[in-house]
Amino acid sequence: MNRRNRGSSSSTSRVSNTYGNRQTSDNPRTGSGGGANDSFRRRSDAPLKRNNDEDESNNKEGDSADVSFIVGTCSSMCPERERVTRERLRDLAVFERLYGNPSKSSTDLAVKKFCRTLSAADVQASDVRPLPVLEETLKYLLSLLDSKEHPFEAVHDFIFDRTRSIRQDLSIQNLANERVIYLYEEMVKFHVISHKRLQSCSGTSISSMHHLNMEQLAKTLTSLYNIYDANRKPDYIYENEAEFRSLYVLLHLNPSSGVMGEPLSLWFRKLTFALVKSKEICFVRNLLRLYRMGNYKNFLSRTASEATYLQYCISEPHIREMRSVAVQYINNVCYKLQPYPLLRLSQNLMMKELDVESLCHECGLETCTDPDGFTVLPAKQSTFRNPEDKFKVYDLIGIERIER
Amino acid sequence: MAYVSMGEAHRRITEYLNRFCDAVSYQDSSTLCRLLSFSSNSPPLLSLADALNVFQDSSSLIRQSDRFSEYGEILAHVFRSLQSYRVGNLVEAYLAFEKFANAFVQEFRNWESAWALEALYVVCYEIRVLAEKADKDLTSNGKSPEKLKAAGSLLMKVFGVLAGKGPKRVGALYVTCQLFKTYFKLGTVNLCRSVIRSIETARIFDFEEFPRRDKVTYMYYTGRLEVFNENFPAADTKLSYALQNCNPKRERNIRMILKYLVPVKLSLGIIPKDELLRNYNLHEYTKIVQALRKGDLRLLRHALQEHEDRFLRSGVYLVLEKLELQVYQRLMKKIYINQKLSDPARAHQLKLEGIAKALRWLDMDMDLDEVECIMTILIYKNLVKGYLAHKSKVVVLSKQDPFPKLNGKPVSS
Repeated sequence: MNRRNRGSSSSTSRVSNTYGNRQTSDNPRTGSGGGANDSFRRRSDAPLKRNNDEDESNNKEGDSADVSFIVGTCSSMCPERERVTRERLRDLAVFERLYGNPSKSSTDLAVKKFCRTLSAADVQASDVRPLPVLEETLKYLLSLLDSKEHPFEAVHDFIFDRTRSIRQDLSIQNLANERVIYLYEEMVKFHVISHKRLQSCSGTSISSMHHLNMEQLAKTLTSLYNIYDANRKPDYIYENEAEFRSLYVLLHLNPSSGVMGEPLSLWFRKLTFALVKSKEICFVRNLLRLYRMGNYKNFLSRTASEATYLQYCISEPHIREMRSVAVQYINNVCYKLQPYPLLRLSQNLMMKELDVESLCHECGLETCTDPDGFTVLPAKQSTFRNPEDKFKVYDLIGIERIER
Repeated sequence: MAYVSMGEAHRRITEYLNRFCDAVSYQDSSTLCRLLSFSSNSPPLLSLADALNVFQDSSSLIRQSDRFSEYGEILAHVFRSLQSYRVGNLVEAYLAFEKFANAFVQEFRNWESAWALEALYVVCYEIRVLAEKADKDLTSNGKSPEKLKAAGSLLMKVFGVLAGKGPKRVGALYVTCQLFKTYFKLGTVNLCRSVIRSIETARIFDFEEFPRRDKVTYMYYTGRLEVFNENFPAADTKLSYALQNCNPKRERNIRMILKYLVPVKLSLGIIPKDELLRNYNLHEYTKIVQALRKGDLRLLRHALQEHEDRFLRSGVYLVLEKLELQVYQRLMKKIYINQKLSDPARAHQLKLEGIAKALRWLDMDMDLDEVECIMTILIYKNLVKGYLAHKSKVVVLSKQDPFPKLNGKPVSS
């Protein structure tokens, strides 16, 4: 059992971190937004109960008592008293209703909700689920992803909230071993896949769902990195660690994308040697270089031939961006009397020819047919604009190699 | 630890107590500084520490005299800290010093004039250094290091005390710099933002009033932040200020500034003289500069790899990597110049095939599509003036100034 139990420095550490971290986290649960900054953070440093004054005043003096963390005893996915309350209040999600009955659930269907205001005084061990139950809960939640009955937005919303609650339970109990790593990795995967699937959904709330999902993706990644670091053996990296670290780079490819976090130059400073040399990190560093250079051809062909599924999902906005950039550059630099053949462009952009044509039109540019019957893009058009629809996705030729 | 007799120990402790109280009474800041610089490991302080460890009950000495007991709390913490420091209990040394610092700052607040500013600087310095040592200790024992973070909070508090209308405000920049060092060490550089905002926008502060030494340090750190965020013109301004105003005798500091200024200047198309790199031992940039001068991509890649670790740690790797486009520009210029010599009439037409050949010479195998892509980028970003004739597989260069210099502006994004 690898539960973190080093030394007894937890009490003041949590207190001083609570003071120190006010600026970096607004979420009482997840190991703060600033967590990625500090590779020395142990799991116990997560500001668990920020709103708990009682906790702070008790632990002011020295490195004395080791505050014990709650050990959950709730044996079902949802604590009994919560389920009963929500049944009474008819506050059951679609997935929790027994035969569609809005006021009846069961232990197989009810899943504990995320609760924002949580102070230690209110939390009882019977409300908190121990690790085996959390593992079962996550397994159940992820099985809903394949559900055809409900629209994806509803599925996403439910899993989004319930996994947040799982993370809360993990944090309260200060769990940070390899099984927990696996749970966080699965939850990151959920957010990444949602990131992709939400793009093909429509509706007024999709944009904000997307944004919130990105936010939680960043936070979950940060927590995951903290746990990797907390259990660090020298020069050792976990089985999937390189891939999950690489996702951070891809998330921050565009510095003005508004994703929370420090500039990449700072982030790289703290990577261990083993990580820097790993295949996945080398791959994304290369993509970073190509992206910053504007090298659309190599960026797209490398992504198509080498990206993992998760990396691809996160890269979709950049793929889109690189393609618009290509159209923009070519329109700008080419000779007016030699229009650019779409077939060639489609090969360079790893797209179907019809998709390229569609993209050109989205960018406000006209295409036409040359005397030999080929579709071409005339150059030096003055009407170029960036496509409005941020989420429209064209296939990436070559990515079919990744099974899903 | 030297042997000290009880009598001698008593004498040393009392002497310190007298010195301390005299310093405060006569507003003698420089003596106070000496009395508090633990990390300087000065002989008088070390011998006092030995005395304390022998005597053990220094608080009774403090209580004996009204004069001493006025500062009883402060002195008790000082002694405890020094004692712990001497025996290598660094965590305890930090904790006691922190308590001392808190109490001292309270007193400082009550003193109307800014006479004790230098001493306050020493306190701030010591707090940071002791915290760093304590954290190192904690880490090596497998515990979580959080003293430096705590020191940061305390320094913020001190900053708050100095951020007022009176003469004490000129000390704010020194404390800011200590905060920078703390945050940089911790990796939490985003926390610099709030204190920068205070310094730069609060009306009580006039930047020119601050001591030169602090201004240089401030510009060095804020310049580095601009480098992390890749704002090259701003980084250039700040780091250049630091360079120009830095004491020329402080070679180590000049080297530190240049370590960041050189990549910034390179990004703006300004190449340093080899002499400069030699004089300040900046050999890690030699090959990069060469690659830029020769248009040698292979050399650039090689140089980046050779010092990869060092560049990543200092945070300039991404900046240097971006120089690739300038190296390409230089290469194109060389090809153009060569062509002008052999076939002047057609020199302004660069065949893609010819470029591919030149790249193969540098062990870089690219197909024509890739070459075309690179040329497209160079033209779009105004590193090459001209246009691309796709069908003819040729880049036609402008007759005038086909390879514009950057002239102090970074390559457009």
